[in-house]
Amino acid sequence: MPNINAAAVDLFTAKAKPVTIEVSTVNTLEEAMKFALEVCEKKTLGKSLLPGTASPDAPRKKTLAAPALDEQSWSFLADGGTKKDFEMVRGGLRNYLGGIDVTFSVADMGIADTATSVIECEKEDVRLSTMICEIHVVALAKSKIVSSSYEAESYLLTALAKDRNYTAFISGPSRTADIERVLTLGVHGPLELYLVLLEQ
Amino acid sequence: MSLENMKSYHSSLQQALDDEFLRKTLDKFAVQFKANRQTIFADVNEKELIAEIAEAKDESLDHLDELYEQFCQHAAKKGIIVHRAATAKDACDLVCQIANENKVKTVIKSKSMTAEEIHINHALEKNGQEVCETDLGEWIIQLRHEGPSHMVMPAIHLSRYQVADTFTDETNEKQDSDISLLVKVARRQLRSKFAEADMGISGANFAVAENGTIAICTNEGNGRLTTTLPRVHVAICGIDKLVPSLHDALRVIKVLPRNATAQAITTYVSWITGAVDCQADVPERRKIFHIVFLDNGRSQIVKDRKCRESLRCVRCGACANVCPVYRLVGGHQMGYVYIGAIGLILTYFFHGHDRARVLAENCIGCEACKDVCAAGIDLPAIIQEIRARLNEEFGSPMVPALMGRVLASRKLFHTLLKFAKFAQKPVQSGQYIRHLPDIFIHGQGFRALPAIADKAFRDIWPAIKPQEKPGGVKVGLFAGCAQDFLYPGHLTAAVKVLSKLGADIKFPDDQSCCGLPVQMMGQRKYAMETAKANVLAFKNAGVDHIVTLCGSCASHMKNRYPDILADQNMDDDVKAFSDKIIDFSSFLVDVLKVKPEAFKNGGEKVGYHYPCHLVRGLSVVQEPKVLLKAAGDYQQSPEEDVCCGFGGTYSLKFPEISATLLENKLNNVEATGATYLVTDCPGCYMQLNGGEQKRGGKLKVEHMAEFLARHMID
Repeated sequence: MPNINAAAVDLFTAKAKPVTIEVSTVNTLEEAMKFALEVCEKKTLGKSLLPGTASPDAPRKKTLAAPALDEQSWSFLADGGTKKDFEMVRGGLRNYLGGIDVTFSVADMGIADTATSVIECEKEDVRLSTMICEIHVVALAKSKIVSSSYEAESYLLTALAKDRNYTAFISGPSRTADIERVLTLGVHGPLELYLVLLEQ
Repeated sequence: MSLENMKSYHSSLQQALDDEFLRKTLDKFAVQFKANRQTIFADVNEKELIAEIAEAKDESLDHLDELYEQFCQHAAKKGIIVHRAATAKDACDLVCQIANENKVKTVIKSKSMTAEEIHINHALEKNGQEVCETDLGEWIIQLRHEGPSHMVMPAIHLSRYQVADTFTDETNEKQDSDISLLVKVARRQLRSKFAEADMGISGANFAVAENGTIAICTNEGNGRLTTTLPRVHVAICGIDKLVPSLHDALRVIKVLPRNATAQAITTYVSWITGAVDCQADVPERRKIFHIVFLDNGRSQIVKDRKCRESLRCVRCGACANVCPVYRLVGGHQMGYVYIGAIGLILTYFFHGHDRARVLAENCIGCEACKDVCAAGIDLPAIIQEIRARLNEEFGSPMVPALMGRVLASRKLFHTLLKFAKFAQKPVQSGQYIRHLPDIFIHGQGFRALPAIADKAFRDIWPAIKPQEKPGGVKVGLFAGCAQDFLYPGHLTAAVKVLSKLGADIKFPDDQSCCGLPVQMMGQRKYAMETAKANVLAFKNAGVDHIVTLCGSCASHMKNRYPDILADQNMDDDVKAFSDKIIDFSSFLVDVLKVKPEAFKNGGEKVGYHYPCHLVRGLSVVQEPKVLLKAAGDYQQSPEEDVCCGFGGTYSLKFPEISATLLENKLNNVEATGATYLVTDCPGCYMQLNGGEQKRGGKLKVEHMAEFLARHMID
């Protein structure tokens, strides 16, 4: 059983609320995936932002993307999604620039004092999936939460020493206050961010 | 914006002051920002972090070439193509060349001040490319063909209705003014731009030398799409953004978003290194990644001892957020590309001395910017330095030059004042100057101006000089020109209070003006001469403390003299002098340890105005309140520490702004029900008292010394 820094987990949860991250806790990754499927089921079907590439009014299925999952997890999620009649997307995200409904990601690390999910996304599909969805569901193991960014430093240094790397700190849904300083969510990226903490 | 000359600039300022939406928006922003900033900094040690950032930035600036080399070595191994551009034109040419080589037709941009600095859009459009901004604010102003009015919120000057009109024109569909709907319009319109673009241009908040990584902080996420979808990515980055290590970047990220938008972190921070995966039509499915490092004079600024601190800037924009002048007139009047205090400075370095001439005058010197700067930059000092250089380059305006000469010569100054005392008789009415033709006091109708006192303090002193107190704390009284000649009553009140509390008071006769007015006007030579005269005047006075009744004199003599007199071979004397400087309120509370029992408290309701240079220049916060609570019924008013609009000669140069700041200040204090308003500076006193006289208000304005003298128990 990996060590969990309980204080850091509490801090993460406390810091998440003001930046409009909805935090919940489950035991396993499978439960987190079920959570993502439920979120997708409950949401209304998103409209394509790219009229012309496909007819925006044509009936289409809800889409759920998870390009970074390993075979076993993908298989579990894809089964669940297919049963609910979702279009399950694992790659070729460029074909979905009009938008997808939900993306499910697994964070590599969490930084408590800023409620940050650290997600390695060198693969374009992973990067795109976390941006073009309307709802982003991120699973984060409690054991991977550190108190501050300085504690994530050695992880990041290893990542950035690679020949190619694109690591994202994500601390909430896409936001803007550029019109009259009124906070508005979802200007380019997700409108909502759900953070699912994993006990295991 | 009209920066061609002062007349057109004043006209633009007035237009901005008359813009009700702008005024209301920026007022609200200024108040909310301060409160939110305080909350978000609660869980970090602000001062310690800022000091660390300043030190690390200075260290980096000393090694920029090495950091650049180190970055290039890592970048080369990772397939990043790095360029270094000496000038803005070179950078534009390079980016255009990259665009041509890659047959780029459409370009999308995420927000980058460096790209704005070199006017890359214009260059690319001239080169045949279509350019689209993707930061919401930047896109709005691009559609309106306007410049940014804030470094972080470029469209803060616009209302939802103006944005709706702009989007209606862009989409050829009537758009609702509901902000969430407007944001959706942008989401939809810009997604297709992202999908189609061949090249993405970003800035970089950091370039990390130890691993050839750039980092980009955004809230909207447009930076991530800009660096992901197009097949070519060009990052334009000032060489000052080079940092040795990841740790340096992480440290700045702890302050930058807190200072910019009162967030603990921006929603997205993207760390990018190497030619990352790209599924567009590119060889080996690898992004074509160029970084253009821009010098544009930065290497020269590094060598510029008095201004190099400006390269510490992390572009948070907080210097505008807290600037009382920005709050009134907005960013279009407070910078060319870069906005706020740093904007006044960088305009001088990057966008021409002509433009900077007008802008550099519009700093009131309140030091609010210095107080919040994420990198601890002494912005007001650099602005003063730039004024001095502009005076040397273009010649001094007549009035400051004459004033400088007069203030530097104590004898000439005193002779002229005595002459002026008689000359003012025809227009004098009691303590005030009245009926002056507008040509002499253009725009000064918002306040009553003081008459020169019948008898200067230095002439009163021999008669009121208390007996020596051999065991008392030995204190030298620094009069300063305003109190010596306009308000000697403040000083006689101080003598009464100090003497009653047992201090042994000296008044060295050879002292002069502190020199701040001439320093503010960029009169370097005269600022040095007055400083030197004062150090020498107190050198053998045999005092342990030098008390001033003016926060500005105190701050100037304590903080600036060491630098002003650095070349005069008198470091020990200057240090001894500066170390002894203390303001009146602090001297009473911290040195004399005055007790409430020293005063008879009749419960007079009294408000306080913090002089800028007392609260920020000397960090004096509690002491005046301790005294007011001891001698009266202290009433806290909103924004006690915001400038009253005096700013020395600023109020003469920009009366329209000065008057508005004054009105806000008096309204705030009157609303508390206070009957007295106390301050610790003769300049603020002149402004507050003159304003209240003019508007016939009920507030009685007093210097702290006067208020306390009235309440001393005999």
